[in-house]
Amino acid sequence: MSLPRWTLLLPLPATAAIVAPAYAADYLTVEQAQHVLFPGADAFAAEHVTLTKAQLKQIKSLAGVRQRDEDPEIWQARQSGKALGWFVVDEVVGKHEYITYAVAVSPDGHVIGIEVMSYRETHGGEIRRAKWRDHFKGKTLGDAFRLNKDVPNISGATLSCRNVTDGVKRVLALLKVVFGYG
Amino acid sequence: MFGSRLLLLATGCFLAAIPGASADENLFGYVKGAETLPKGSMEFYNFATLRSGKGQGKYVAVDTLHELEYGVSDSFSIDGAIKTMSIDTHGLLIDGYLPGPRKFNVHPSGIELGGKYNFLKPALDGIGFATAFSLEYSWIDPHSGRDKNKLSANLEFLAQKYFMEGRLIWVGNIGLESTYADRSAIANLPAGFDWPTTPEMEIEVTVGTGLTYRFMPNWFFGVETQYQTEFETEVGQERWSVFVGPSLHYGSQKWWATLTWFPQVVGGKEMYAGQRNTSLHLIEKTKREVRLKVGINF
Repeated sequence: MSLPRWTLLLPLPATAAIVAPAYAADYLTVEQAQHVLFPGADAFAAEHVTLTKAQLKQIKSLAGVRQRDEDPEIWQARQSGKALGWFVVDEVVGKHEYITYAVAVSPDGHVIGIEVMSYRETHGGEIRRAKWRDHFKGKTLGDAFRLNKDVPNISGATLSCRNVTDGVKRVLALLKVVFGYG
Repeated sequence: MFGSRLLLLATGCFLAAIPGASADENLFGYVKGAETLPKGSMEFYNFATLRSGKGQGKYVAVDTLHELEYGVSDSFSIDGAIKTMSIDTHGLLIDGYLPGPRKFNVHPSGIELGGKYNFLKPALDGIGFATAFSLEYSWIDPHSGRDKNKLSANLEFLAQKYFMEGRLIWVGNIGLESTYADRSAIANLPAGFDWPTTPEMEIEVTVGTGLTYRFMPNWFFGVETQYQTEFETEVGQERWSVFVGPSLHYGSQKWWATLTWFPQVVGGKEMYAGQRNTSLHLIEKTKREVRLKVGINF
């Protein structure tokens, strides 16, 4: 049996994937992000957390979006034994790839800051700029996280902005459910 | 021989696109999303569409489109495109449509100017909505490959919605195209063959929808469908058809590609004399289409 000649076109996208250059835009390692967000910390203690179904449901109810990772990456930042806050590494869906970012939260549940650790999208590199990230500083779970109102939108990267904004609120809900701050 | 040239043509389009650009990223081959380019950004993209099979004889045509799109504002983009066509047909006569064998490679066939305005953004407003409009002038009949001056105005309404944080994407389109066409006379037509050269007006309505899922980073797999019907001054509804098929999309930071296999599943109204498969429209449409799109971002 001979295949029609147009079937020769089918492997082209696969070829495209092979010849495509890799754009691995990893800006910060976990350790680097920890020291940027908690410059005074002298220790980061990993919190080994596995979320129950009830906790996942509670997070969804508080944040409005689903917590997909049952084993979130959380550290407690300390200085001379005193807790400075929590450091959480999270991932959200970008247009093509996952966006990895870190959130620092004070013991009373305020966002200290966020850092974008990897971003590989076509548009929206501004998401890494302090000017955009600073809009999250001081926010609590009780605050509004409305995109284009409380947090500005970046043209061409609306999905990324939406998912990071929702993600930060979800991280606050996660810490509330697990550690019951505030 | 012709198949090899088709392959060369498609590969050429593909490779031409690799170093360069795209328009707003096309997750589907035929249906369109509602997003526009950000202000000041540009995309260059190439489409190659292979149309084949009319049930008798041989019919293979390849249309290409090379388009540049520019974001005038965050909600409005403009684009310009040139089109080419290749055809190889023999062994089939369709009165009024296919006057005989025809074969040529990569002939410029038309130009297109258009714009797209976004009213609602899918990740911001819950649902995305845009309108696209274009003006096209072509000088080769896409069905027969003969000389035909055609001026078309096209208006489309495009909706898009994200689900599962953007992993699952739905789009819906409705479009209306009005065409003025004028065919050139042909010498040595078969006896009794009808080849009208008086100007004609046509209205085409296209309704389409598609759903695609990001099954791993960078890769989407989806299904899309398009219903199309055309009305003409003399005969009223001239044709209708439904195409359905899968689309595979790869998107990265700098470029993307979409491959769609789009067979006609049902169609009707006008048929040619002796048409064996009466459940398809095979005069202006073919049994199947395959479309490869490659786009690059600037």
